[in-house]
Amino acid sequence: MTYKSQSVAKLYFIAAIALFVAQILFGLIMGLQYVMGDFLFPAIPFNVARMVHTNALIVWLLMAFMGAAYYLVPEEAETELFAPWLATLMFWIFLLAAGATVAGYLLLSYSDLADLTMNEMLPTMGREFLEQPTITKLGIVVVALAFLFNIGMTILKGRKTVVNLVLLLGLTGLAVFFLFSFYNPTNVVLDKFYWWWVVHLWVEGVWELILGAILAFVLIKVTGVDREVIEKWLYIIIAMTLITGIIGTGHHYYWIGTPEYWQWWGSIFSAMEPIPFFMMTVFAFNMVNKRRREHPNKAATLWALGTAVMAFLGAGVWGFLHTLSPVNYYTHGTQITAAHGHMAFYGAYVMISLTIISYAMPLLRGRNAANPAKSQTLEMWSFWLMTISIVFITLFLTGAGILQVYLQRVAENPQPFMAVQDQIGLFYWLREIAGLIFLVGLVLYIASFFVGQDEPEPAVAD
Amino acid sequence: MSGKKTTLGLRPCTWVYLFLMTFTFVTFLVGQMGLSGLTVSLLILLLALIKGELVGYYFMGLGRVKGLWHWPVFIWLFIPGILIGTAFYLAS
Amino acid sequence: MTASTQAIPAGTDPRRPPGDLAIWIFILAELGVFAVFFAAYAFTRMNHVELFNQYQQHLDRRAALINTLALITSSYFVVRAVAAIREDNPRHCVNWLLAAVSMGLVFVVVKLGEYHHHFVVEGVNLSTNTFYMFYISLTFFHFMHVIMGMVILSAVAVMAKKGKYSAREHTGVETGASYWHMVDLVWLILFPLVYVMR
Repeated sequence: MTYKSQSVAKLYFIAAIALFVAQILFGLIMGLQYVMGDFLFPAIPFNVARMVHTNALIVWLLMAFMGAAYYLVPEEAETELFAPWLATLMFWIFLLAAGATVAGYLLLSYSDLADLTMNEMLPTMGREFLEQPTITKLGIVVVALAFLFNIGMTILKGRKTVVNLVLLLGLTGLAVFFLFSFYNPTNVVLDKFYWWWVVHLWVEGVWELILGAILAFVLIKVTGVDREVIEKWLYIIIAMTLITGIIGTGHHYYWIGTPEYWQWWGSIFSAMEPIPFFMMTVFAFNMVNKRRREHPNKAATLWALGTAVMAFLGAGVWGFLHTLSPVNYYTHGTQITAAHGHMAFYGAYVMISLTIISYAMPLLRGRNAANPAKSQTLEMWSFWLMTISIVFITLFLTGAGILQVYLQRVAENPQPFMAVQDQIGLFYWLREIAGLIFLVGLVLYIASFFVGQDEPEPAVAD
Repeated sequence: MSGKKTTLGLRPCTWVYLFLMTFTFVTFLVGQMGLSGLTVSLLILLLALIKGELVGYYFMGLGRVKGLWHWPVFIWLFIPGILIGTAFYLAS
Repeated sequence: MTASTQAIPAGTDPRRPPGDLAIWIFILAELGVFAVFFAAYAFTRMNHVELFNQYQQHLDRRAALINTLALITSSYFVVRAVAAIREDNPRHCVNWLLAAVSMGLVFVVVKLGEYHHHFVVEGVNLSTNTFYMFYISLTFFHFMHVIMGMVILSAVAVMAKKGKYSAREHTGVETGASYWHMVDLVWLILFPLVYVMR
């Protein structure tokens, strides 16, 4: 690594992977609970496992994004990070807050947690993915502000590249939209309307800017292609993201009590949301094809290309399948949703996080450019295991979803929810097996950081 | 592009402009006269598509472009045109 | 006028459309959205023919005529602006661009009058009925693009006035021009489709 202060990223990356493991473990618990309802009841009921699973995902992705920023911004800005001590301090605050929150979920009843954390003073609890106590949310705001300040000041004193500015814009948007988690209207329609201003405008909005910037950075490094070419692609991709995604929020407004025109606006604009992902795929493969060097970090290149493809499939294609309102009328809130959600999150945000970690960690640990062949091979095995098992998880859930939609909503004599769940149990068992293989992939991924440490890295061919 | 002056000392684009203005009036008059029905609608649609192609070919300069980029506007007029025409046909 | 008016400036790839390639990606994307909307309009109309025919009569066709003529004229002015800069005449280029923007302003004023009639006088909104939902959505989205196009053309005019463009290098002018023609193109379909075809 070129700048000493980039090393703060290491803490964030390690915590990110640790929380990733926690996320998967709780996911496996839930997967089993789908078919063995009493599993771990009453110690860890389904709803608690779910909160831990989803919150851990969000926190570890945020950790990864922060680590990514702390790593790439000094390098892009060609100057040391403004305040490395602040980054370290915020890391510990964030980690402790996250840990305390998860402990709260697991050890207390949710209502006791609300009382303990004085939720009634400014009620923000009780909404999906935003279950954190208000004080945790306030802590997140503080951490985010300190982070943006640190990154912003670094960019201000250094080179303002397109990658830096797009990343900063995305991260600022992330912080701004998180503020809507504090807005908790009593009217249920408005409650849901604004909830999506956090969730949709994150994952189908500003997070895509973060994804694009990180992908562009890694491609610049591993391909050696002219920065201007890559930056121009980045501009076009994020413009398409915003053009399609902002009004595309309407695809969450079909059935919550908003006016009918949202079915048109949401369908038409969100139908085009796959376009930026398609462009990212073409962009990534194009850049690698036109590469001017053979970068020794093959694993990072694989992750980068994989991100583009899986994001397109999971977010783009699977998203498109259920985005049009006449289709969504039948599929809303079914396993189709879960199928899309898992492949989209993995393909876009998990994979871009693993891409930047794959690229940066060797350098943060003192390597010149990449890990030795042995480590990279193991890492690439983990790539294929995790990616292919997610594809199978998605296919199984899609199968479950199609059957569920048919039996519960389309058939001449629709059946009740639980009666249908009983009949799609096989898909859930298969999903769980795929999930176990995913965990194996994750374990191998972690192992790849420890094997071959004494071996030399591959020679740099220029 | 405008190009060299041709008949009556006008550039090709000026001729296109006059054509576009004239046939806009025609479309307007059809509306004012309350003409309806499938044939009229499809003729108006066809006229609109021709006007669009003229804008693409002459005003946007795609006429002089060789290869792939010569076609997008034409395709954009052709395919939606077919779709709209079909919808009006099915509605009648 | 000499034969040089036809000459493509040195270094231009005949396989590339005029202006920056990035704007053409936008143009295609915008055209795509409008195409989907147009098709949605036409197919929805199939199930509501009487409704569409009835409320189409409430639209102001004369205003739409003025708007169509204004946009076509402004597109023509933009063509002349590009020709002017290709002849190394930034002053004329600026004048043609300003003329084009004024025609855009005509469109905006007329459109605002139309909207005043529908929203304020008639009390129509997006939820009134399906025809109005389409009419408002289509014309409003297009209206936003007219505004954006006027901003772009004004920016180009300012740069031209500052002498940033020449016969050799005027990609910016062509880029802005291409975007404006797209705005015109969309309206050329919108006008007959929504105001006339029945």
